[in-house]
Amino acid sequence: MAELENKIVLEDASQEDYERVNSLTKDKFDFVPHEGNIHDQAFETKPVSYLHDCFNRFCKSKSAIVGAVIIVLVVLYAIIAPFACPTGDTSKYPDGFRDSYFSYATPYNAMFKGTGFWDGTDTLTINEAKYYEYTHSDSNHDRLVKINGTRKIGSVINYDAVIDTYAIGNKIITLSKEDLDILIQHEKDAGVYQTATSIMKPIVDYESYLTEYRSYLEENQSSIGITPAIIDGIISQMRTDYQNNADISYALKADKDRNKDKLVPNIPTGEDEAKRIYKTYEDGSLVYYQEIDGGQYQVRVDYFDYFTYLNGFEPYFIFGTNASGQDIFVRLALGARFSLILGVGISIINFIIGLIWGAISGYYGGTTDLIMERITDIISNIPSLVVLTICSIQFTSNPQFTNTLGSSGTLILALLIAFVYSGWVGVASTTRMQFYRFKGQEYVLASRTLGAKDRRLIFKHILPNAIGTLITSSVLMIPSIIFSESSLSYLGIINFSTSSISSIGTLLNEGQAAGLQNYPYVILFPSLVITLLMISFNLFGNGLRDAFNTSLKGSED
Amino acid sequence: MRDAKQMLKYILQRLLLMIFTFLVIFIICFILIRLLPFDQATGPGKDPATFYRMQVAMGRMYEVVNADGVKEYLKTPILVQLWNFFKNLFAPPEGVSRWGYSWQIEWMMDPMQLLGRQLPPTVLINIYSMVIATPIGIALGIFMALKKNKWEDNVLSVVIMLLISVPSFVYAFLLQYFFAFKWDLLPDIRATFEGNWFSGEMIASMVLPVLAMSFGTIAGFARYTRAELTEVLTSDFMLLARTKGLSRAQATVRHAFRNSLVPIFPMILGQIISVLSGSVVIEQIFAVNGVGSLFLQSIQRRDYDVFQFVGMFYVLIGLVGSLVVDISYGIVDPRIRMGGKK
Repeated sequence: MAELENKIVLEDASQEDYERVNSLTKDKFDFVPHEGNIHDQAFETKPVSYLHDCFNRFCKSKSAIVGAVIIVLVVLYAIIAPFACPTGDTSKYPDGFRDSYFSYATPYNAMFKGTGFWDGTDTLTINEAKYYEYTHSDSNHDRLVKINGTRKIGSVINYDAVIDTYAIGNKIITLSKEDLDILIQHEKDAGVYQTATSIMKPIVDYESYLTEYRSYLEENQSSIGITPAIIDGIISQMRTDYQNNADISYALKADKDRNKDKLVPNIPTGEDEAKRIYKTYEDGSLVYYQEIDGGQYQVRVDYFDYFTYLNGFEPYFIFGTNASGQDIFVRLALGARFSLILGVGISIINFIIGLIWGAISGYYGGTTDLIMERITDIISNIPSLVVLTICSIQFTSNPQFTNTLGSSGTLILALLIAFVYSGWVGVASTTRMQFYRFKGQEYVLASRTLGAKDRRLIFKHILPNAIGTLITSSVLMIPSIIFSESSLSYLGIINFSTSSISSIGTLLNEGQAAGLQNYPYVILFPSLVITLLMISFNLFGNGLRDAFNTSLKGSED
Repeated sequence: MRDAKQMLKYILQRLLLMIFTFLVIFIICFILIRLLPFDQATGPGKDPATFYRMQVAMGRMYEVVNADGVKEYLKTPILVQLWNFFKNLFAPPEGVSRWGYSWQIEWMMDPMQLLGRQLPPTVLINIYSMVIATPIGIALGIFMALKKNKWEDNVLSVVIMLLISVPSFVYAFLLQYFFAFKWDLLPDIRATFEGNWFSGEMIASMVLPVLAMSFGTIAGFARYTRAELTEVLTSDFMLLARTKGLSRAQATVRHAFRNSLVPIFPMILGQIISVLSGSVVIEQIFAVNGVGSLFLQSIQRRDYDVFQFVGMFYVLIGLVGSLVVDISYGIVDPRIRMGGKK
């Protein structure tokens, strides 16, 4: 300590340094106490484990967080949507909801009502007959939203119309006596029974109209220029039309002056004429239901309202419906659920097989490695399309499989084999590389010198170092499996149509069948979900790769 | 070439190995395909007598007369079928095709001919796509590497990440919907007439499939080139080049580009070989009657000879592609010693 009191002379030292050193006086120092032991102080900072460190790095990457959030959202959608949506109720619709009358209803979102976008409307070109039908239907809901313009080609007029795809008009349905009574009671309770806004609509008396129209045609045969055979044809054609179309109340009066040869029917005006359209009892009151064979009753209903009455919810579908009138929103959720389960399940299987294979091949090396490499070489070079085709044809034509597993089980088995048989090769080669990298390192040698067995070296020393890379490659495998599965179902190579399950690819396939030109939304939503899944899994996987890369520690600070 | 002899030996070794691998794959696939249930084709102009006669001639079936005196045809054991297949391959009997026949897609058509007929559309679309996508991809990659961590790089990285992630069929749908249906600029599917491959109509109808195929390639090349070039740009020899007085542009063009292109060249080679194999999905969407659609048809219609032939064609392309890529690494980069033990 005595030296400190002397002036210290240092080369290259500034005046300040001199002052600082010379200001150190004896009273600023204490002797270390001699009595007792001196212990290291405990760390005041918290230790950071490997996983915690990885987690911290993962959280720093914004894109990885975005990816994780999107994945969580899609998973939540896949889990919750079928429960939250009335059409996903499996107790009510054991085979899934479908109503073919609502086939190809366009997506409807109440928030966009009236905007022309996402409001359940569609733009079509319709002819004059359709125009009459839409404007003069006695349905409670207007199918025609607006006319954007008219086009006249010669004497034919076409309308560019915006139509409401949910206002499907009236349909004829058959009910039992009890159901009919319940319906009538429901209408009476609601106070709409036999009014203009009732669910049940008066039955149309087309037969007497046809008789009338036939006599009119026969009278004016020569002036119109048709033969009796043609008249028969016209009448039978009209009868078929009327039987198939419950929405033709407009049509039941021939205009005696206009459209003589075009057979475009005119519109009834006034109550008296309307009465002539509908079937009436002798006292002049309208017929609302009529008995047909076997105690069944035929009723003409406004289908939108009838659906609401029957199912307890309004038939509006946020993603629209497909060809058979199934709700795309629920089906897509179920499809995404299946695709995700398939992707995760197969990745886990591939991960396990690849890990074991790669560990053996990489750890032992030499001839073992050479032989195992040849085998993977052969396996990975057989296109999985070939394997899948062979498996699916072989299994589906084998009654033993289809009887024990069912048709969907058989297909899933074929898929599983096709994806597992070569899917693990990627994991195996990554594992092998990692093992080659770590097995020669000093700490492994040290452990071996201490007498550690192969198993201990593999599982305790090498694998934990390689696990990050392996997990990353397995996570990145999930989107590629989802993608391959959906392209295979899209192509129809995997055909789930005979089974109850659906994947995103099945929906894409339906979209292709519907046609991109007319019903783009059928393919839009599945494409959107699969795109989101692909992007988010890639972001997430890349984030994971950086997170597990310990050499990046502190590089960004 | 320093050790041309060693190199030649290595190439020969790899080639033999490839042939061996191909043979094993072929035998596995042959056996699996022969195990499939096998129906006689029915339809107009498809008479069973010819079918069975050809099956017998190819050694896949044999004729027996059962107790009622009626001729029956039974399958020969699969290994015998395999043996007969190889015999036919080298010395086909008179009037019998080497490769079997298509029974469903085109009655009695040689799969080889069928493939030859379907190759041109696939090859053309792939070549167009390659010619467009490769330079754009490499140029983008170079641009990004030079602007590393600036806003241009960040924006392009996001775009490329999206291009890589979005499935190719989604681009195809988008392109088809907007360009063909909504704006009505281009034909929605490939022109079906068999005429001049370079007529305006044909080229216009190929624009959409080519674009749909190109996006993924562009993104792949851009990402790879960026990674390679950034690595080269930060290496020591670049520092040396700058130290000895080269300007940044000189150093980049003369030293960095050349070196970064070394691993990209094999990638281009691989691309060239895969020109022969068509994308099944894209061909399906744009109705291209190429190799991919032939493969799909053979699966859907269970035309096993065609399925086997086209499947093996894909296997062969894959094997040759990876072989050429591996060998070319050694040729373009002298640091990689061929067949070196360690």
